[in-house]
Amino acid sequence: MSLFDKFEKNAALYDQLTAIGKNPFNVVMEEVLGPTRAKIKGRETVLAGTHNYLGQTFEQTAIDAAKVALDREGTGTTGSRVANGTFAGHKKLEQDLADYLGMKHCLVFSTGYAANLGAIAGLVDRAEDVVLIDADCHACIYDGCGLSGAETIRFRHNDPESLDKRLSRLDPKYNGKLVCIEGMYSMYGDIAPVKEFVEVAHKHGAMLLVDEAHSFGIYGETGKGVSEAEGVMDQVDFYTGTFSKALASIGGFLASNHPEAEYIRISSNPYRFTASPSPATIASAGAALAKIKANPSIRGDLWNNAKRLHAAFTQYGLRLAAEPAPVISVLLPTREDAFGAWSLLLEHGVYVNMAIPPGTPGKESLLRLAVSSAHTAEDIDRLVAAYGALADAFPSAKVSADA
Amino acid sequence: MSGIQEDDDLVFHKIAALLEPLNEKGVKLTRDIDIIADLEIDSVSLLDVVMDIEDNYDISIPVNTISEIKTIGELVDAIHKIKKEQS
Repeated sequence: MSLFDKFEKNAALYDQLTAIGKNPFNVVMEEVLGPTRAKIKGRETVLAGTHNYLGQTFEQTAIDAAKVALDREGTGTTGSRVANGTFAGHKKLEQDLADYLGMKHCLVFSTGYAANLGAIAGLVDRAEDVVLIDADCHACIYDGCGLSGAETIRFRHNDPESLDKRLSRLDPKYNGKLVCIEGMYSMYGDIAPVKEFVEVAHKHGAMLLVDEAHSFGIYGETGKGVSEAEGVMDQVDFYTGTFSKALASIGGFLASNHPEAEYIRISSNPYRFTASPSPATIASAGAALAKIKANPSIRGDLWNNAKRLHAAFTQYGLRLAAEPAPVISVLLPTREDAFGAWSLLLEHGVYVNMAIPPGTPGKESLLRLAVSSAHTAEDIDRLVAAYGALADAFPSAKVSADA
Repeated sequence: MSGIQEDDDLVFHKIAALLEPLNEKGVKLTRDIDIIADLEIDSVSLLDVVMDIEDNYDISIPVNTISEIKTIGELVDAIHKIKKEQS
């Protein structure tokens, strides 16, 4: 018996894929060539498996702001938010985010993962409270529940009635009740009926946390997320997000209208026991936020690209997981097909993400394409051509394979 | 609860029926079967089976409880216990 026994099953597959040079889990971007291009295995590749939804990784104002912060404030804060790691920039970004979202309070964390981890663990008491989570929630929400130690109950994905049932039969022994959902789910690119969830949660005296990591900057009339698109921004109790997608930096945040949210700063370990984001990452996130706020057309470009790709893939007969969204996933029945199809796309100069169960919502594997507003017409043409080759080579990826 | 015979235990039969479609190796399902190790199913699939059980019996089984369960027998016993508490 050894600590390493548990690795055995996955290690064999991992080593085998590495040996044949087709391992989707250890890809190296050898040289970054722009927001949608990098060199992989010596070849210039179209990146469609990043979350650079709004193409901000090379936004000049963000790069300039980061350089200024680096020159003026140095490379790192060397401390946590509650000690020496809160600079004027962190406070300004919190204010800017709160203003943008129309929320009174905002807390900046070191990653999006830490924001959910810290929000849940900071809010929920292990002995008295209960958390109800959508079955398809991201690992950081599950981990937040685990860290809190509180009883956690799953409800069926995107099913407010399933939540209603579970809240109805809840033991009256629980004090606080927290419901966690996401705006857009990153595996299928499907969106939550946030309005219905708000109604169900509040009817039972529960509070609602919406993780808009993948939908912030993208959904809603002014890009505030699915909560805005659903018209319930002011009713969401806790809104979490990340800087590593639409804002192309790294870090995360929690926004709320509840004044008590401020105390999460002193009750949440993922907030108070980790170093704060560096001045440069904060500065670039802030500049990207200003950029996307002022230029709604960036969002429009993303949606145009998403619709074009979705329509082309539908035409090929590919089995898609959801309606047009910034994430477009093709479902594949087996892991082997997923590995094969992923490699085929890479050979065609296209990088996407591959996911296999239990990392996927159903029993199937998938290839996840993340669309960017920065994808050029040429990028899109290459993506469409590569997926055409995929459709020809893998009949199992097509709708007709179901029949 | 472990005194209950598999033959007579409706909860056992319900769980066995829900696990059978995932039982690709055709293992004989008894109380002693380790759900994840013996049936080679992943932890999320187990959580999904538990969700079916929850809706079938109109009970809630916390994830925390499931993570402590290894065998079919332990799952059966946990359901009996929760049914009693939540009824």
